[in-house]
Amino acid sequence: MDQPIQSAQLEAFLEEALPPDEMAQIEVKLRNNDVLREKLATIQSRRAAGIHTIGGIWRESRASCPSRGQLQKHLLGILGDAENDYLLFHIESVGCRICQANLEDLRQKQSEAAENSSRRQQKYFHTSAPYFDS
Amino acid sequence: MKSNSEVEKLLIERIRQSDAAAWRDLIARYEGRLLAFAESRVGNRAHSEDIVQETFIGFLTSLPNYDARRSLESYLFSICAYKLTDLLRREGRRPALSLSNPKDSQDGSWEVSGGQRGASSIVRSGERKTLEKEALQEALSKQIRRWKEKGEWQKLKCAELLFVRGFGNKEVSAKLHLSEQQIANYKFDFLARMKNAIRQQDLSEEVFPELYESPS
Repeated sequence: MDQPIQSAQLEAFLEEALPPDEMAQIEVKLRNNDVLREKLATIQSRRAAGIHTIGGIWRESRASCPSRGQLQKHLLGILGDAENDYLLFHIESVGCRICQANLEDLRQKQSEAAENSSRRQQKYFHTSAPYFDS
Repeated sequence: MKSNSEVEKLLIERIRQSDAAAWRDLIARYEGRLLAFAESRVGNRAHSEDIVQETFIGFLTSLPNYDARRSLESYLFSICAYKLTDLLRREGRRPALSLSNPKDSQDGSWEVSGGQRGASSIVRSGERKTLEKEALQEALSKQIRRWKEKGEWQKLKCAELLFVRGFGNKEVSAKLHLSEQQIANYKFDFLARMKNAIRQQDLSEEVFPELYESPS
């Protein structure tokens, strides 16, 4: 990360809202950079004083997050092109951690469902096999 | 703004009445996504499960103060983020933001003091702060809905990268393949709409400094 760290990034850092690799990079930078720590402290005190930021309110209200239903449709490949393009942008470029976690959860559930379905089919197959042979 | 569905409101009500089945249902609904959230950062399954466990305990202990108008999912994720941060602080990966003097630290942990510098001393009630926040939330939701309806996805992406992700105009220009002038125009237009919404509600401009900064 060669770019200077912006206040809005530090604000997101305080909310544990940046992608994990960027969070880790900022943690490393904070260790060795007094100016950056000073900047973080200023942001923290502004937050404590109740100063609002667009990013903070946007994240808190999850103003642009796709619904879980839209994430599900994305996984099934039935989301419209424009919405799907935006969803990918939101997950990959913005790196929304909550939507990433929701998507991962849905993927897991989908694969568990597939696994259970396969297990059930195996069971039906084995229990019906004697009848099939005859 | 994402709000709770009727099902979730009912679920919370049943949990408040100590209904164990409702509590089990809430855990089943949310544990997977919370675990994925924690694990993406901690990278350790056992620690992540501990964080999720602490999140659910934190939810129960804070339940008497939970405002059911607030999104249940956002609330659970905010507790989870707090527990995650706490773990990272204990591991020394994250700075402890406290009011204490760093020199007082006995355990070698690195601290950032805060509270004295740069803080605006605008004293106002919690109710007032909520009113301010809701006014901006509403303006934001309206704007995002309008962009989506009109298919103006680039404007939405631009605002999101600038304000949520914290990128500078140049970086956004490169990411979206738009000129820096276009980015500046979108930004100006967006801020003007937000400012207008704040003025209409007769709210203090002082608590939204970002809206009144000189353009960059």
